[in-house]
Amino acid sequence: MTAKLRAPGWYRAGAFVALGIAFAYVLVGIVRTAMHFDNPWSDGDAITIVSLIAAPLFFLVGLGCFDYWFYWVSGRPTRPEDHSSHGAHSWKDYFRVNTDHKVIGIQYICVSVFFLFVGGLMAMLMRAELAQPGMQFVNSQEFNGLVSVHASLLIFLFVIPIFAGIANFVLPLMIGAPDMAFPRLNALSFWMLPVAGTVMMLSFLAPGGSFATGWTAYAPLSTTMPLGQLFFTIGVQFAGASSIATALNFLVTIITMRAPGMSFFRMPLLVWANFSTSLLVVIATPFIAASQFFVLLDRALGFQFFNAFVGAGKDGSVLMYQHVFWFYSHPAVYIMMLPGFGIISEIISVKSRKPIFGYRMMAFSLLAIVILGFTVWAHHMFVSGMQSWIRIPMMITTAIIAVPTGIKIFSWLATLWRGVLHLDTPMLFALGFLTTFTLGGISGVMLAMVPFDIHVSDTYFIVAHIHYVLFGGSLFTIFAGLYYWFPKMTGRMYDERLGKLHFWATFVFFNLTFGPMHVIGIQGMPRRVADYAQQWSAYNLAISIAGFLLGLSTLVFLYNMIVSWRLGPRASANPWRALTLEWQVSSPPPIFNFDAVPTVVGGPYEYGIPGAVHGIFQSPAEAKPTPAGSVATAPTTE
Amino acid sequence: MEASAASLHSAGAHAAEHEHHGPPEAHRSSRVEPQLLGMLLFIISEVMVFGAFFTAYFFIRVVDNNPWPAHGTELPKIIAGFNTAILLSSSVTIHWALEGIKRGNRFALKAGMLTTFFLGATFLFVQINEYVHIGFAPHNSAQASIFFGLTGLHGAHVFIGLCLLAFVTIRSFRGHFSPEQHRGVEVPGIYWHFVDVMWVIVYTTVYLL
Amino acid sequence: MVVIGAIASAIGIALSYWIHWFPADAAKQDKPIDTLYHVLMIVSIPIFVLVTTVILYSAWAFRMRPGQEREDGPPIHGNTRLEVVWTAIPAILLVSLCSYAYGVLTDIEKTHKDELVVKVHAVQFAWSFSYPQPGGRMVASDQLYLPKDRPVRFDIDSQDVIHDFWVPAFRVKIDTVPGIVTHLRVTPTKLGTYPVVCAELCGLGHSVMRSTAHVMTPAAFARWLAQKQAPASAGGAGGGGAPPTQAQLIALGRQTFTGEGGCGSCHTLADAGTTGTTGPDLRVLRGQTPADIRQDIVDPNARIAPGYQANIMPSGFGQTLTAQQLDGLVAYLGSVSK
Ligand code: HEA
Ligand code: HEA
Ligand code: HEC
Ligand code: CUA
Ligand SMILES: [Cu+2]
Repeated sequence: MTAKLRAPGWYRAGAFVALGIAFAYVLVGIVRTAMHFDNPWSDGDAITIVSLIAAPLFFLVGLGCFDYWFYWVSGRPTRPEDHSSHGAHSWKDYFRVNTDHKVIGIQYICVSVFFLFVGGLMAMLMRAELAQPGMQFVNSQEFNGLVSVHASLLIFLFVIPIFAGIANFVLPLMIGAPDMAFPRLNALSFWMLPVAGTVMMLSFLAPGGSFATGWTAYAPLSTTMPLGQLFFTIGVQFAGASSIATALNFLVTIITMRAPGMSFFRMPLLVWANFSTSLLVVIATPFIAASQFFVLLDRALGFQFFNAFVGAGKDGSVLMYQHVFWFYSHPAVYIMMLPGFGIISEIISVKSRKPIFGYRMMAFSLLAIVILGFTVWAHHMFVSGMQSWIRIPMMITTAIIAVPTGIKIFSWLATLWRGVLHLDTPMLFALGFLTTFTLGGISGVMLAMVPFDIHVSDTYFIVAHIHYVLFGGSLFTIFAGLYYWFPKMTGRMYDERLGKLHFWATFVFFNLTFGPMHVIGIQGMPRRVADYAQQWSAYNLAISIAGFLLGLSTLVFLYNMIVSWRLGPRASANPWRALTLEWQVSSPPPIFNFDAVPTVVGGPYEYGIPGAVHGIFQSPAEAKPTPAGSVATAPTTE
Repeated sequence: MEASAASLHSAGAHAAEHEHHGPPEAHRSSRVEPQLLGMLLFIISEVMVFGAFFTAYFFIRVVDNNPWPAHGTELPKIIAGFNTAILLSSSVTIHWALEGIKRGNRFALKAGMLTTFFLGATFLFVQINEYVHIGFAPHNSAQASIFFGLTGLHGAHVFIGLCLLAFVTIRSFRGHFSPEQHRGVEVPGIYWHFVDVMWVIVYTTVYLL
Repeated sequence: MVVIGAIASAIGIALSYWIHWFPADAAKQDKPIDTLYHVLMIVSIPIFVLVTTVILYSAWAFRMRPGQEREDGPPIHGNTRLEVVWTAIPAILLVSLCSYAYGVLTDIEKTHKDELVVKVHAVQFAWSFSYPQPGGRMVASDQLYLPKDRPVRFDIDSQDVIHDFWVPAFRVKIDTVPGIVTHLRVTPTKLGTYPVVCAELCGLGHSVMRSTAHVMTPAAFARWLAQKQAPASAGGAGGGGAPPTQAQLIALGRQTFTGEGGCGSCHTLADAGTTGTTGPDLRVLRGQTPADIRQDIVDPNARIAPGYQANIMPSGFGQTLTAQQLDGLVAYLGSVSK
């Protein structure tokens, strides 16, 4: 038993969580005694807050995320790099600190999909409440809680991490690297996610209910809410730290570990997309961390950042919260979209059997979006009461962002043109994405027009925009990517018929759910309300029914993934006849990815050029272009 | 942990130097070292955290035009000035330590690290002492909040920096590092310089301006 | 394909005119915004139709046919002319849309000389309005009354958190921000009553934070104002005069409970017909004296009902409700609760 408790793993993690809570209890007690507060040992709020910070950290230590570093920094002998923590031989290996980027990728994906279903389930409860005017199932506190947790989980624990997960699996393979640059940091980043998600979900148990201020958590509402709010404040810190660490890891990996011959302009666009995204994360994410520090300090330690009524002339700045928050959260929406653009570029090129149209512009437009993305944050604040002149430059930059995005859309269309289109599930999702995202993007451009936004801000029109870009945009690309790389990740094929069923059900019910929201939004139905005027009851009932069917369609996906993973037919190494490096190794890839580092001799998308290859597996000296498929793997039949 | 325990690596070992018996060595596509690049990117993130706090400062002091410091309070410019000098000299000593080990001078390394550590600790001590005697608390005004916010954030970074310095110091007393092998001093050193530069900015904006 | 696209766009635009998008059209600000919207639709629909038509056409014309399994498309890498075109055209389009929108913005926010000033005050979860009168006096009201065709300037502030003052029929909204005063300009043009909505999430009662705007003829407005200013207005909020009777107090309490106080959004009370579940059912009190009840309302954290949390019931009622409304609530709760 003691051995189990001393070795890294779940037993030790459990013990450490208890230790963390005890530590928090004692710390709070001592500090409060020292400061002569009354009832120093029984302040539930303070103990909970400190525990929320301490317990997760202790958990990570207990699980073994820091073991290696502890040895290293204290100058004790470290275990040699024997790669014993690499790879997965049984399912149990997915439940420990694993440093293999492929295992971590799958851990990310599974955890994120879990949160998709939790968040989706909350959406179902919301839709049930909203099916009719009046209050039926939940009260307004619970409803606001559902909205907030729905959005927070889906943004911070689904879309952002699942893109990190897909890239984790695919990116090192694509650039010919054996792993990420910092495998242990990679493992730590992953394990912070379940922690963040657990903290957020536990908020439902907090007295006073879960956090209920929307995912935006505007101060001063968030600084005056019951304890549950702090579960968001603190949970987001872990999710944010995780995403910064991963982004840093991606950047270093991409810059320092590309295979010989892979110049920046021979990188697949997915790599470009993650490069751009990681830049956004490293620069922007600290701002949300800071915004939540402010809330935490105000709420827990009596700071006055957001209290406008401290006393005569001494007032906090309410609008400051929104500036800091949106300086992260607008770039965040591109953090949630650019990796998807990368996925779509891969799929459209491979499935149209044509080189991507305008490769360089595709790469540059990503960078343009990154740069412009930092200059538009106040378009979320057109009605916030900030200085009114700021609206004008923000309107212009916001509208201009449609130009690089348009370049991408049109280039994809041109890639389709005259290709040989394989209309299987990944491609269907990619095409579906093109339509729904264009619609969502255009509604975004309408929102950029200040006078129109003044009318529809904070209405269901915004909710419609959110879902057209996040569901119709990000989630469609995620589905496309998961189907596309499923054979590579699991070594098995998914069921094509179920995949197509999933696509069509999702596409139809998605539009039926979120399309009508544009109308009720302009008609004046505000967002984040549990109850609404009678005039919208018919629309809302229809939306709810379509929403439930949309939920059911997601179950088809889940079924397909689980069953195919266990029982699907074996997949060949390169079922799509793709050129990028990840398809040149077996499915699933061998534990160290490549037996020899490949050499890149051409662009990643040279379809249609007879004999073109992207990478070869001989040493650079003997490298000369060979026909596609003739290296490493034999040509496969579909 | 079992079989390979025989090959336990000892002093000076660093992750990258362990012999690889698994994957092929990754190709190096950049002259920058991964550790260095990682630290630089991390510092960019850190700068942005400070950036957000300075945004708060900007809003409270400039946009909302509140008096600075709040009426009836005073900031101890002189003591903080001494403290600045202490922190800046610690940047010099850590540089000395690094140059020392590059030339193989173990004494310079050990002495340099030790002085750096103590200078840093003194800074933190003076800072805490300043908090105790400053005469206002974060809940008194928004200005007080951002004062404690910025200096506290910096203090937290000094604390992290001190932890890193402590590790380096321990390892240097255990005989780690060599003229060829001193990344473990260099990378924390960069962080420490960053903490110093940040303090100069905080000191200038919060105390002097 | 071009023809199909043109037809689809035409149908789309026709549809966009046919759908009844906007709520009532009751202010001078409405027309420019509605027109802007229709212009945006006229520009957007063809773009959307272009994208979808190309996709559908490609999916049909270039789909892989049996026997093409191993075929590839032509290796086209790009076309600079085309790329310049699809960078330049959207850019020009967007810049012109922005200029147009800027024009609309200055139009709807124009200031006028003889503006009627109305102060709007927001608090969790109620609106109150006041009309500054010559001599510094205020006329207060919990509903919004406006004369037709007179430009109005709202000076808006908040006492606790951020709310958002929105009259959908006027199209314009602005946040109410604690610590600063925000402004909004409207010229009502159509008689009628319209909902006033709080559009920014402000807590539990956000979805019930509503009021009503009445647009009246200038004469009727003047009458209303005069009547409000008369010292002994009967009932209602803020009136002075002779002490009201117990029955009047109870009536006022009941009205406050369901109306301005917003108590019903959290408390169930059979007599008032409210069903909120955030706070305790007030039919069963725990034997409080009237003084206790008053304290429960103005200082809810002083004593917490068993099974409930502190800091949920707003603690600002002492300021937001008038003394008489509070008396009314105490009298009312004392009369209907056990
Ligand atoms: C994946 C996430 C994502 C993405 C990619 C976007 C993309 C865009 N968003 Fe969106 N947005 C959100 C997620 C996203 N948004 C969320 C979550 C919110 C709500 C937050 C909250 O309050 O909770 C929001 C809110 C939001 C607002 C604030 C509304 C309000 O609260 O009042 C605005 C206003 O300008 C806006 C604009 C835009 C614009 C202009 C784009 C552009 O990037 C879109 C560009 C794309 C296209 C335009 C389509 C393709 C282009 C062409 C085919 C070329 C030709 C086109 C033209 C010439 C028009 N968004
Ligand atoms: C990636 C992000 C993402 C995704 C995927 C979704 C998915 C969905 N969202 Fe989400 N939503 C947001 C991000 C997202 N949302 C954001 C950012 C907000 C703003 C929040 C705020 O205001 O702060 C928001 C707000 C929001 C609102 C507005 C709330 C309000 O303002 O009052 C609504 C209302 O209908 C809604 C509905 C839905 C629905 C029906 C789905 C569906 O697509 C979900 C479908 C998926 C499932 C359902 C999977 C689970 C399925 C099962 C568990 C099987 C069981 C099935 C049945 C019971 C039928 N969302
Ligand atoms: C946002 C929700 C909310 C609103 C609005 C609200 N209350 Fe409450 N109320 C509560 C909660 C929660 C409690 C229990 C905690 C407590 O005692 O403070 C409570 C307790 C009370 C009690 C004490 C009940 C007891 O059994 O001790 C009274 C009386 C009361 N409210 C009256 C009112 C009146 C009158 C109003 C309107 C002016 C009102 N409340 C508005 C949430 C609310
Ligand atoms: Cu007040 Cu919402
Ligand atoms: Cu945005």
